[in-house]
Amino acid sequence: MLAHHSFAAEYDSSKKVELKGVVTKFEWMNPHAHFYLDVTDKDGKVANWNLELASPNMLVRNGWRRTSLKEGDQVVVVASPAKDATNTASVETVTLPDGRKLTFMAAPDAK
Amino acid sequence: MRNFFLIRFAALIMAGGLSFLAAQKPVPAPPAQTAPARRGRGPALPTGPTPRLPDGTPDLSGVWMGGGSNSGDITKGLKPGEEVVMLPSAEKLMKGRKSQDDPQANCLPFGVPRGAPYPWRIVQTPTHTAATHIFILYEGNIHSFRQIFMNAKHPEDPDPTWYGHSIGHWEKDTLVVDTVGFNDKFWFDYLGHPHTEQLHTIERYTRTDLGNMTIEVTIIDPGAYAKPFTTAGKARLQPGEEILEYICQENNIDLQHVNAPAQLP
Repeated sequence: MLAHHSFAAEYDSSKKVELKGVVTKFEWMNPHAHFYLDVTDKDGKVANWNLELASPNMLVRNGWRRTSLKEGDQVVVVASPAKDATNTASVETVTLPDGRKLTFMAAPDAK
Repeated sequence: MRNFFLIRFAALIMAGGLSFLAAQKPVPAPPAQTAPARRGRGPALPTGPTPRLPDGTPDLSGVWMGGGSNSGDITKGLKPGEEVVMLPSAEKLMKGRKSQDDPQANCLPFGVPRGAPYPWRIVQTPTHTAATHIFILYEGNIHSFRQIFMNAKHPEDPDPTWYGHSIGHWEKDTLVVDTVGFNDKFWFDYLGHPHTEQLHTIERYTRTDLGNMTIEVTIIDPGAYAKPFTTAGKARLQPGEEILEYICQENNIDLQHVNAPAQLP
């Protein structure tokens, strides 16, 4: 996405998933930053989601930092899932425990 | 489309958000005026006349955002009165293209004239008089560069390359860049509009004032299109901005999830 690959070819923007979980890894890399989230369902089963953000060059211009998310952070993510039904999604919003919201590309209140 | 929204959003933030970085201006120019307040952070985009070198040649140097064509669908960004007429062979090639095979998605160059929503910098040398070399430094996609040899000639039989062989000259205040020697690998847009090694492009860059540049690109490819066509695009100066590192090959893990026809972003 963002001129790298077609968003519509990978993700279904008509669908949204809400994921509550714990950040297990934050990859601050090109062509997209990704973070991984352990999400526990009601039966106690844990799934690890791969969540896509814009590229670090664009993220940093819009307020994100490589420290904006850390391993162990408990967050709520709203995202568009991949069409291939894997645990992969493109982030719409990330809400931190203190209520701050970050998006696919912008983090106006990032610390 | 979400992607287009984000591109516009990024452009707005960057255009509105940064202070003016003086272009090379050995001759004192009138002070830049400030445009009305814009959305976004920081000072507004400056306005003023086209900067010039001491010999009067327009100075195109600076960090820019935008490009000469519609990167989603090249047929949507044409000069008025222009049309794209594909040959059957090109139509067939395009119909079979898959999104995951887009060279740009595979961290390969976008060629000419496709652009990315990342800034790019024009560097001219020398700076005290009309340039002998003009370079375009791309942040993405990919982190690479083009060279424009001023008042030069094309080689007789150039090896086909992603950016071709570019020569430039000035027509009044317009930089005209003539490029041949392209390979046939890059796509003109997300839809996969193709071309052949016969591709010949003529780009016309006009810095209409301090902050704006128009870019028209004539596409001549008798191997894929029944007649030439010309796109009309524009770029805006990104005051105070610098290009950043963007090494696409670092972690390109998305394509394993893509299996779809070539399509808009």
